[in-house]
Amino acid sequence: MMVARMLVSRLAPLLACLGLLAIWQAGALTLSTESFPTALEALRAVPAILGDRESLVNILASLRRMSIAFSVALVVSIPLGLMMGRNRFVACFFNPLLMITYPVPKAALMPIIMLWLGVGDIAKMLVIFLGVSLPVIYHSFQGARAVEEKMLWSGAAMGLSAAQRMIRIVLPAALPEILTGCRTGLVLALITMVTSEMIARQSGAGNILFNSLDMGQYDIVYAMIIIIGALGIGLDAAFERLRRRLVRWSEPGFEIPLSFA
Amino acid sequence: MNVKAISTDVLLGIVPIALLVAVWQGISSFGYAPMTLLPPPGLVFMRLVQQLATDTFQQAIIATLFRLFAGFSIAVILGVGIGLAAAASPAVNAVVRPIVRVLAPLPKVALYPALLLLLGFGHESKIVLVAADALFPILLSTYYGASMVEQKLIWSAMAAGTPRHQILFKVVLPAAVPSILTGCRIGLVISCIVVFLAEMITSTEGLGHLLVTAARTFQAVDMFVPLITISLLGLTLNALLQALRSYLLRGFPEI
Repeated sequence: MMVARMLVSRLAPLLACLGLLAIWQAGALTLSTESFPTALEALRAVPAILGDRESLVNILASLRRMSIAFSVALVVSIPLGLMMGRNRFVACFFNPLLMITYPVPKAALMPIIMLWLGVGDIAKMLVIFLGVSLPVIYHSFQGARAVEEKMLWSGAAMGLSAAQRMIRIVLPAALPEILTGCRTGLVLALITMVTSEMIARQSGAGNILFNSLDMGQYDIVYAMIIIIGALGIGLDAAFERLRRRLVRWSEPGFEIPLSFA
Repeated sequence: MNVKAISTDVLLGIVPIALLVAVWQGISSFGYAPMTLLPPPGLVFMRLVQQLATDTFQQAIIATLFRLFAGFSIAVILGVGIGLAAAASPAVNAVVRPIVRVLAPLPKVALYPALLLLLGFGHESKIVLVAADALFPILLSTYYGASMVEQKLIWSAMAAGTPRHQILFKVVLPAAVPSILTGCRIGLVISCIVVFLAEMITSTEGLGHLLVTAARTFQAVDMFVPLITISLLGLTLNALLQALRSYLLRGFPEI
């Protein structure tokens, strides 16, 4: 019984994927327009894209830009967020600036940044960096703010310096919250990656997607949607595994159900 | 915190913004950047004020706001509804949870070409994209808010004779409101971003369209104006939501 239940919960996302594809298939068959191919046709076009050397290079270039920008954003944002959380002066200094820039669509800066830096990698990475850093800063800030004062006092009493307290107490205590921010940032990085390549049509996954839309190659459009979607789901699942390992101590081992009966 | 401390905090917060504007002004007035790349801030804000009075610009704002609100409302209704249902019923939860796990990390912008092909270039495709993007943060925070409701509250309500079907609306929903509003706030920011992007990709009206047309003709001043406008819109809507929050949560301690 337990094994069966485990198996079902493991397979549930897969079943959901299959269910969604089935709904797509049924919808496409009932509508049967040229611009909406069935799920099977789209899936059939996937290996053709991945097998094509040029598109594969494009997709890998996108991923490289995204991972570099994501890592740089983490290196800058986490320390800044933690400092903001522990120091009122730093928080007051940066908070209004972040509040103003939060609702600005980062990918919309792309045309302006392109004017300055050209259409190359640096412009795209800068946009992804901006998109990722805000949620990570925000969550690190919230996480560091919620650290219990007593633990810091104990650390200070035991002779830890301010920098040591930051690394040995604040960072681990804020880690669950930081990783929540990183997860949001990861999804945002992917979104910004696609949009930046769509605006600066030069290379990358977003470029293939929107070029095929313009040229009316509908099966490639949908196949690219599947590939980008699978990238998102795969990266998120990998990150979630990593997160669970890192913060296993902070979560209850079982889920507490809510009962109305 | 006394009044004086608050005012120094505000002053401290203005410093980086003022610095940013000063550096911007410095770069353009000392000639490090030509006018075509970085127009001075004064010119941009003058242009903003001038544009705000024109008919076309107002129409663009109205088109953008309409799409934003339509998409956001759909997301709130669906998100709160599905979130509550998933928290209340294990059967719904078993269905919704895996679907959400698959769809939430999917970059929705990638779906936009499909929406364009299915729904056309008008309002519908953009509204659906905004709703799809804003839905998941609202749904997830509703679900977590509703499943964190203290069991004691539900038992007390049942002991006091509340019928079971009313518990959801009389106990669980009000208790989950703080969490729901947090989700709405995230959803609102995302809506602002997404509506702008959708309009940039394909549109004949709206703020995003204005940015794209300015970019195509290399009018740097006109490129900054829609960006500043959407940022101001986001801040205003955020402040309105904050006001709604402090009104709705006026009995609650410190939130």
